[in-house]
Amino acid sequence: MRHRWRWLLPLAAVPVLALLAYGFKLNPRDVPSPLVGRTAAPFFLTAFDGTPVELGALRGKVVVVNFWASWCNPACYEEAPVLERGWRAYRERGVVVLGVDIQDTDEAAQKFINAFGLTFKNSPDRGGKISVDYGIYGVPETFFIDRAGRIHRKHVGAVTDEVFRETVETLLAAK
Amino acid sequence: MIPELGTGALFVALALCLYGAVMAAVGARRGRTAYVESAQHAALAVFVLVTTCILLLVYAFLTFDFSVRYVATNTNLGTPFYYRITAVWGALEGSIVLWSWMLTLYTLIVVLRHRTSARELYPWVLTVMLSVIAFFLLVMTVAAPVFARSVPIPADGRGLNPLLEDSGMITHPLALYLGFTGFTVPFAFAVAALVTGRIGDFWITTTRRWTILAWYFLSLGLLIGGWWSYHVLGWGGYWAWDPVENAAFMPWLTGTAFLHSVMIQERRRMLRLWNLALVILTFSLTLFGTFLTRSGIIASVHAFTQGAIGVFFLSFLALVVLTSLALIAWRWDTLGAQGALDSVVSRESAFLLNNVLLVAAAFTVFFGTVFPLLSEAVRGVKVSVGAPFFNQVNVPLFLSLIFLMGVGPLIAWRRASLDNLKRNFLWPVMIGAVAALVLRLLGVRSTIAVVALALTIFVAATIAVDLLRATRARRVMGERALPALGGLLLRHNRRYGGFIVHLAVLVVAVGVTGSQAWSVHTETTLARGEQAELAGYRVRFDGLRESQESNHGKVTGTFTVVAGRGTGDRIEPAKKFYPQEQSPIAYVDYRLGLIDDIYIVLGDFARDGSHATVKFQVNRMVSWIWIGGLILTLGTVLAVLPERRKTA
Amino acid sequence: MKPKFLVGGAVILVALGYMIWAGVTQSAVYFVTPSELTAAPVAGKAYRLGGLVTPGSLKWEPRSLDLAFTMSDGRATVPVRHKGAAPDLFGEGRGAVVEGQWTADGYFKASLIMAKHSEEYKAPHDTKESQSKTLLKTLEDPKR
Repeated sequence: MRHRWRWLLPLAAVPVLALLAYGFKLNPRDVPSPLVGRTAAPFFLTAFDGTPVELGALRGKVVVVNFWASWCNPACYEEAPVLERGWRAYRERGVVVLGVDIQDTDEAAQKFINAFGLTFKNSPDRGGKISVDYGIYGVPETFFIDRAGRIHRKHVGAVTDEVFRETVETLLAAK
Repeated sequence: MIPELGTGALFVALALCLYGAVMAAVGARRGRTAYVESAQHAALAVFVLVTTCILLLVYAFLTFDFSVRYVATNTNLGTPFYYRITAVWGALEGSIVLWSWMLTLYTLIVVLRHRTSARELYPWVLTVMLSVIAFFLLVMTVAAPVFARSVPIPADGRGLNPLLEDSGMITHPLALYLGFTGFTVPFAFAVAALVTGRIGDFWITTTRRWTILAWYFLSLGLLIGGWWSYHVLGWGGYWAWDPVENAAFMPWLTGTAFLHSVMIQERRRMLRLWNLALVILTFSLTLFGTFLTRSGIIASVHAFTQGAIGVFFLSFLALVVLTSLALIAWRWDTLGAQGALDSVVSRESAFLLNNVLLVAAAFTVFFGTVFPLLSEAVRGVKVSVGAPFFNQVNVPLFLSLIFLMGVGPLIAWRRASLDNLKRNFLWPVMIGAVAALVLRLLGVRSTIAVVALALTIFVAATIAVDLLRATRARRVMGERALPALGGLLLRHNRRYGGFIVHLAVLVVAVGVTGSQAWSVHTETTLARGEQAELAGYRVRFDGLRESQESNHGKVTGTFTVVAGRGTGDRIEPAKKFYPQEQSPIAYVDYRLGLIDDIYIVLGDFARDGSHATVKFQVNRMVSWIWIGGLILTLGTVLAVLPERRKTA
Repeated sequence: MKPKFLVGGAVILVALGYMIWAGVTQSAVYFVTPSELTAAPVAGKAYRLGGLVTPGSLKWEPRSLDLAFTMSDGRATVPVRHKGAAPDLFGEGRGAVVEGQWTADGYFKASLIMAKHSEEYKAPHDTKESQSKTLLKTLEDPKR
């Protein structure tokens, strides 16, 4: 049979396809946050249920601070159950999830919390001071803070189960 | 209720697609007509189901059914009526629905038109078309479910991306997707030809009109996209070599090559392998375009949602490319040419060169677009190449293509004699040369502009020479001039349709050249009552005004533009403030003209209205680009009319 | 195939290869972060600098069209200057990408400012329309 090599023809496309697949490993949208590696700005808040929330008092624990709003659809709606699951799974191991509701009405926020049955502390950021401290330029944004109170990671967009688990496990493993 | 109905319909359609694809293939192999007919019924049912889905989606948008997440994220209670309909394809999920709906429509037309005329290829065409639809249905149900529910149901939606609230966004995606999906039909015929081994010219002649129409819609989509960019995005240009634009431009380039190379196969029985490769490449590039813009692997100013969809598209792209290449390898021994190239100076050579240049252009665009990926993979450095790269590499290619546009249609087949060359090209070359000289004397400094315009005039002259000669021949027979010309166009509609399309491309080329060479712009801050001057136009800032629209607030600047000693023309650019957006959106205002467009963008302004910063541009000859689009439509209509003349 | 066609094809290939090579070397733009730039700045080289606009650093002179700000990635800060108004999505504390050159005078001269936003991720807004409302109010009453 002549032209046996012709079966090598499809191989010509493989390098191009491989290059495109390689693209999935990169994220061109990463904007590095200047806050990563710094000490997280302290804050005092009053949660919707009236209890006080103080970041400084949580030293020694892994803290997940999530900025959200009830009008942020779909990303905040997607991640609310993720955060609740994460909170329930890790609370015994010293992980605290804090929700900070920004630029919202109390009524809409309360409806959001009830709809998802959120049991972690959620507080309104009255005056927007904390959003400014954390350089929030969109919702949702989530900060993972280590036991020493330093910001370990900033996540932009909805948090997934994988991101939550991996980041929190890393922080729990670190001494 | 609607989410469940829609999802259900999509799943049934998916099952029917797979059933139909298999039945048509089995029917073709075993020669069972009944199987193929059953597949046909499946195709009809799929069309009805997908149509129903689109209507359900439209209904959900019109009734603000926020239980559908797609509706909640792309509309809100303030979205005006028209934009609630166009919002259907305003984001990823909906545009996939639109895409598949067009595919099902095309499949329906294929069933109606080619059921009897293309007996042997037809079942396989059906298999390919249904498989492609099945892929899109899979995306719609699994990767980017369009009928996903929002839990809990929000009281109000988020609203459409304000940049999409524009009439250009109604037609741009429609045209673009009609073009993209249109190339599926020639591709399906090519695959059918490979599978059945009927590699002759039949699949090419059968799909000629499909190719022309797909190409036309793609061209139109690109032009409307340029128009949208020009009058909405407010940066004063129409083309930025952004990955999203490149994604649509690459299949256009290879599609254009295919459109020309099929003529050689029809006429000289050459380039069989090349034509198959081109149509496979074009179809793959339409998929690649969607992959590129939706997977997020390349950063683009048009930031789209990324997600699982990238993996789906890449897998399907790999499947299409590898299967097609394997089919070509399988039929390799039968794909040899029957004709041969005789001479370098011949129409075949001109067409061949045109193809090589178009594919080269597509390759450079591809290379530039994926360059960031390539450099990161190879050298680990993030490097990109911007507009200068694309311009620098493509300008010589496009200039050569324009030149060939003049040569190709008139030069003789096989081997052009000196006499043939003289007869056709003596006058056009002289006219082009004189034009170049005149342009230089008129003070046109840019060499590229001189060359481009002279070439354009050369090509226009070749068309004129041909028309004059043919009209004169008819007048000798006793016809009057205008009826003679009309009769000519209609009688040889395919040839002259092509000429008019060429003319349209020339007009676009003049617009592009002129706007690149002669546009001027300035940016300045004006106090109220103060004026600035640019290129003989004086623009005065008269003040700011605020207003409240149905879904946004608006701050409008009033400017008076005076040309020479004429009366003032009022131009009112604005900034729109959408509650769901953190930043204002610029709203450009302009006066379009055949030569000069006056174009003003409101930049920063003082809140008390005492002063405002504006970008003030005088863009030259941009309107020619849009006029070219109109001529293109005329030429295409003429080219796809049924042929009067029977001999090829 | 006649040798003429082979020669012609080879010429086209070589020319194309040269054009691409020349195009890439002349218009390559390097993506850098502020810390990468300050580590090894090369004056005159084309960069695309990505980072956050440092809050409080933005200065805008409408009359002279001078825009100045600093961009930071947490470790290093780069002063940036630009001629012309900033694009709509640009602002302090937000991500931005600027294209331009490092100058020998110790600042980044931006020729193009790109501010980005994405679809699924939303910019904060004050409760319903308040932003545009306050703006409109100040417009109505120029004395304030």
